[in-house]
Amino acid sequence: MAWKKACSVNDVAVDTLRKFDVGGVGVLVANLGDEFKAYPPACPHMEEPLEQSGVCSGGLLTCTKHLWQWDMRTGEQRAPAEKPLLMYDVRLDGDDVMVNVEHELEYEYEEEDDDDFEW
Amino acid sequence: MKITVRTKHQNYTVACNEGERILYAALRSGAPLPYECATGTCGTCKARARPGDVRSHWQSAPGSSYLKPERGEFLMCQSTAHADCEILVPGKPAAEVAGGLLPEYLKGALCDLRMLTHDVAAFDVKLDGTMAFRAGQFVAVRTAGLEGYRAYSMVNHDERTDRLSFVVKRLPGGGFSNWLFDGSPQNQPLEVFGPLGRATYDPSEGKDILCIAGGSGIAGIMSILAHSTRAGHFEQHRGRVFFGVRGMRDVFFHEELSDFVTRAGGNLEVTIALSDEEVPASAQSDYPRLGFATGMVHLVTSERMSDQYGDAVAFVAGPPPMVDGTLRVLIVEGRLPASSIRYDKFG
Ligand SMILES: Cc1cc2nc3c(=O)[nH]c(=O)nc-3n(C[C@H](O)[C@H](O)[C@H](O)COP(=O)(O)OP(=O)(O)OC[C@H]3O[C@@H](n4cnc5c(N)ncnc54)[C@H](O)[C@@H]3O)c2cc1C
Ligand code: FES
Ligand code: FES
Repeated sequence: MAWKKACSVNDVAVDTLRKFDVGGVGVLVANLGDEFKAYPPACPHMEEPLEQSGVCSGGLLTCTKHLWQWDMRTGEQRAPAEKPLLMYDVRLDGDDVMVNVEHELEYEYEEEDDDDFEW
Repeated sequence: MKITVRTKHQNYTVACNEGERILYAALRSGAPLPYECATGTCGTCKARARPGDVRSHWQSAPGSSYLKPERGEFLMCQSTAHADCEILVPGKPAAEVAGGLLPEYLKGALCDLRMLTHDVAAFDVKLDGTMAFRAGQFVAVRTAGLEGYRAYSMVNHDERTDRLSFVVKRLPGGGFSNWLFDGSPQNQPLEVFGPLGRATYDPSEGKDILCIAGGSGIAGIMSILAHSTRAGHFEQHRGRVFFGVRGMRDVFFHEELSDFVTRAGGNLEVTIALSDEEVPASAQSDYPRLGFATGMVHLVTSERMSDQYGDAVAFVAGPPPMVDGTLRVLIVEGRLPASSIRYDKFG
């Protein structure tokens, strides 16, 4: 396990997102009020940096580039999003927000059927 | 030539002319591919091709910051093909082409050019044919001697028309701006490709409408007001318009907006937000049917709407930072679902 401190609970205001460098891995930490969540920092659609383009409201994260939306607690997509959010495991250690960054999570921006698209 | 467009869900075979933008060829043949600006700025139309199969005509397009050229990615709205080829488009195609209206190329001539403010002009394009479009849509415009197309939203609305009306804000040093403001464009030929855009108004949705415009973003909102007024929308539903400009000398369409307010019989409110100026004492008496406020238009919207969003459909148009700020307000404070928010980012 590679639990590392991302930030302190006071570093991220309720209903906001902030990006931290966690042992060389960029991680986006969200404060939902009663819970912290951690995601890769780029939008699963076109890699827009969610720290800037993301809006949190009512447990939903919206990317203002094309209005893709997700349930922040489960990562589940809401229309028009076509892919779920990936999530890191998070736990609190006192005032520290700890994130398990054993493997850097990255979106598959290639399509599954790309393979037979020969060059 | 023939372009085979592969998407996850469906393949399309598209006839493409020599020199024609691949996106335009696909859209006019009914393939509902992803795009937003159709003019190289947003990156939404990215696709993949084999090396050498397509050629980009604008390498430094702002939208190319979204591309990975080593993967063969390119912008469909800025690229042409010169032989049959196959391209791969990521993601789901849009559910439909707005209103089932396929875009096409039409020729026309510029007429009725007039200045509305010190840096905003209005003009019409008299088409050689006719076009049907939804209120809120735009066309890509091309003139001789100008590289690429420019997107402009229609101001007017009729089910089908041979005249398109536009407003353009001068961008100092801009190609189309120079042609329009400093040249002699009267009666000059233009080519338009359209209608384009999905930020459209549909009276059958039967909901209140909330329109927020920055500067020339009012163009498409005027079209929506023309259609909604004609459709009797304000007999049943409310409308609110927030129009952001810098100061009083930048306000235009006061007469037209006042007229919409009158015809809506109390169900339409128009507020002009002045970002750089206190509201002068004379504003209210000069324009008694309009409201005025000081502040950035998204903040004025936030303050005035407070908890009155209901289940309105929102239309937002203007410069990208203004649109992004407004989207935040609509999502966080208005709690509007993504399906009720339609926007055009002008750049
Ligand atoms: C959907 C949409 C609707 C719009 N509606 C309006 C409107 O109603 N009124 C209004 O004033 N503005 C509108 N705009 C902005 C408008 O399209 C222009 O960006 C603006 O008028 C400046 O044009 P310009 O030629 O003066 O400036 P320039 O800086 O010369 O050009 C600006 C735009 O033209 C295109 N362009 C420039 N160079 C090239 C090239 N070499 N090859 C290909 N393309 C190129 C790009 O799209 C670029 O962003 C809209 C934009 C969008 C995306
Ligand atoms: S880049 Fe985030 S929604 Fe498209
Ligand atoms: S649609 Fe091609 S870059 Fe915006």
